[in-house]
Amino acid sequence: MKVVCALGSSLVSLVVSAPALAAASLSGAGATFPAPLYSRWISDFEKVNPETKLNYQPIGSGGGIKQFIDGTVDFGGTDAPMTDEQIAKVKGNVLHVPTALGAVVFTFNVAGVQKPLNLTPETACGIAMGKISTWNDKRLLSLNAGVTLPSAPLTFVHRSDGSGTSAIFTDYLSKVCPEWKDKVGSGTAVNWPVGLGGKGNDGVSGLIKQTPNSIGYVELVFAEKNKLPVAALKNKAGKIVSPSTNSVTQAFADSVAKLPSDFRMSITDADGAASYPISGITYLLVRKNMSKEVGVPLVKFIKWGLRDGQKICPSLSYAQLPAEVVSRVEKALNVIELK
Amino acid sequence: MEIATKKLLLEFMVTTQAKRKRKNIFANLVLSILAILAVSPLVAILGFLISKGIGALSWEFLTSLPAPYGESGGGMGHSIVGTFILVLFASLLGIPVGFGAGIFLAESSKESRFASIVRLCAEMLAGVPSIVVGLFAYFVAVLPFGGFSAFAGGFALSVIMIPVIARTSEEILRLVPVHVREAGLALGLPRWQVVMRIVLRGSRKGLFTAVLLAVARASGETAPLLFTALNSRLWSFSATQPISSLPVQIYTYATSPSEEWHQQAWGGALLLVLLVLGMSLFARFLFSGKKYGT
Repeated sequence: MKVVCALGSSLVSLVVSAPALAAASLSGAGATFPAPLYSRWISDFEKVNPETKLNYQPIGSGGGIKQFIDGTVDFGGTDAPMTDEQIAKVKGNVLHVPTALGAVVFTFNVAGVQKPLNLTPETACGIAMGKISTWNDKRLLSLNAGVTLPSAPLTFVHRSDGSGTSAIFTDYLSKVCPEWKDKVGSGTAVNWPVGLGGKGNDGVSGLIKQTPNSIGYVELVFAEKNKLPVAALKNKAGKIVSPSTNSVTQAFADSVAKLPSDFRMSITDADGAASYPISGITYLLVRKNMSKEVGVPLVKFIKWGLRDGQKICPSLSYAQLPAEVVSRVEKALNVIELK
Repeated sequence: MEIATKKLLLEFMVTTQAKRKRKNIFANLVLSILAILAVSPLVAILGFLISKGIGALSWEFLTSLPAPYGESGGGMGHSIVGTFILVLFASLLGIPVGFGAGIFLAESSKESRFASIVRLCAEMLAGVPSIVVGLFAYFVAVLPFGGFSAFAGGFALSVIMIPVIARTSEEILRLVPVHVREAGLALGLPRWQVVMRIVLRGSRKGLFTAVLLAVARASGETAPLLFTALNSRLWSFSATQPISSLPVQIYTYATSPSEEWHQQAWGGALLLVLLVLGMSLFARFLFSGKKYGT
């Protein structure tokens, strides 16, 4: 009994003394894709602002939006902007802050082929629709002169779980492939016409490694970290472009003229000659009306991320925001009202 | 009976006995193999975890915060502390309720309808998938308070612990012989004193075992914490802030793109398994050869 009492009282003192220990502590949750980048940002930011403590947890874009709507987090994270219905649920009290860019890349497992393959919108469409069923299909051979492609059947691998990666991938296919738009459509999870499903980037890449003559899609960060062979893709301007942090930033830069004031935009299939076509924006979700305790450190962190944070991006395989976008986002932050 | 018939009968008995012996050996063999198969996953899991995880374990791993992405080192110190805090909260909420229910069940007569309903409910609660418990706790302890918190995580874990404690403590309290209770009553002790001074006091070790088993069960749970305690990259000692725990930290690291974080996830998994197995073994050791009053 004495032990229990001692435990209880020490716990109470623990809880009571806690606020003194912890400085302003903000919590956020959402998209998995930018979580490693944010962990680095937060750590570097805290070195110069030790009084602020931030916590971001990867629970997925859908989870991030839901928790933001439910008000359980101080900020959310998502790879797909909120829909109009979702924005209505928070009565418009949300600002989408672009923080970094990502891309979806094709990776493959064909014996003897290590060099990057070349693909076009038509062949990407054919592979995902199941119309291109062998590796020595004429459309693939003509794009990849000098590469020996086998006559083996081609297996397509996709995500089985709901994912921002799939959302960007299917958004791209819906733009370049009318048949895909009619029969499948875009979203975090769709009815795949063909192929095997793997959970997460690691699930997809694992499945590709195990399955000879397979091809699938993963995030650029994941492909670079794991040194997977990737395919270059012909963009809207007709140029074949390799996925890289530069060609992804370019895709956003080429779309800046069309960028709406709320920053909700798709940058797949962008116009410019140097842009990689399957690119996407990741956002932080913040409220336009916030308390000072939350708002002051959060805005400070976002401003830091837009300037200093951007410089860290390429070294971690994340694509930077174009400079023009950074200044527009900084201006947009002025709408935030602190009470 | 004629000699020939006797001989025939004897032969028949000898052959059937040999047959039975063979059958017996065969059945024994099959069952032994199945028994080995049944325990081999434990051996395999332990072997696998040790080979993958031992490399990640270090003093830094046990005592420091996670390193940010792209930097090496770091650890799970905050998750270890967080797991203990969560289990402490869960125990404070769950042990009194669990014991109360256990005492009630043990003291009520076997025929009591209400007691059998309570027992049935406790069993059903123990069978509720832990992710459902997590969702329940999200609606009860996260949404109304407007945020993820260690308190909500402890609440979710306590829901897991309560039926375990209630059922185990009932079994243990029922071990107290009727004549011992009657002896107390015969001396003129009121019932509550019999329960407090004789039944509970004599079952201390057993009750501690019940707590240990429930704690072991709760400290390995991931699903109830995902949407209640969330996770944190900070040292947290507050009931109202998100807090880290070993299972959730392992889950987060295992699904990340970083090879170094995968390593840390293995280390964390090894630590968690050692913690849970250690508690279960300790509980068994305490309760071995358990009789009333020991």
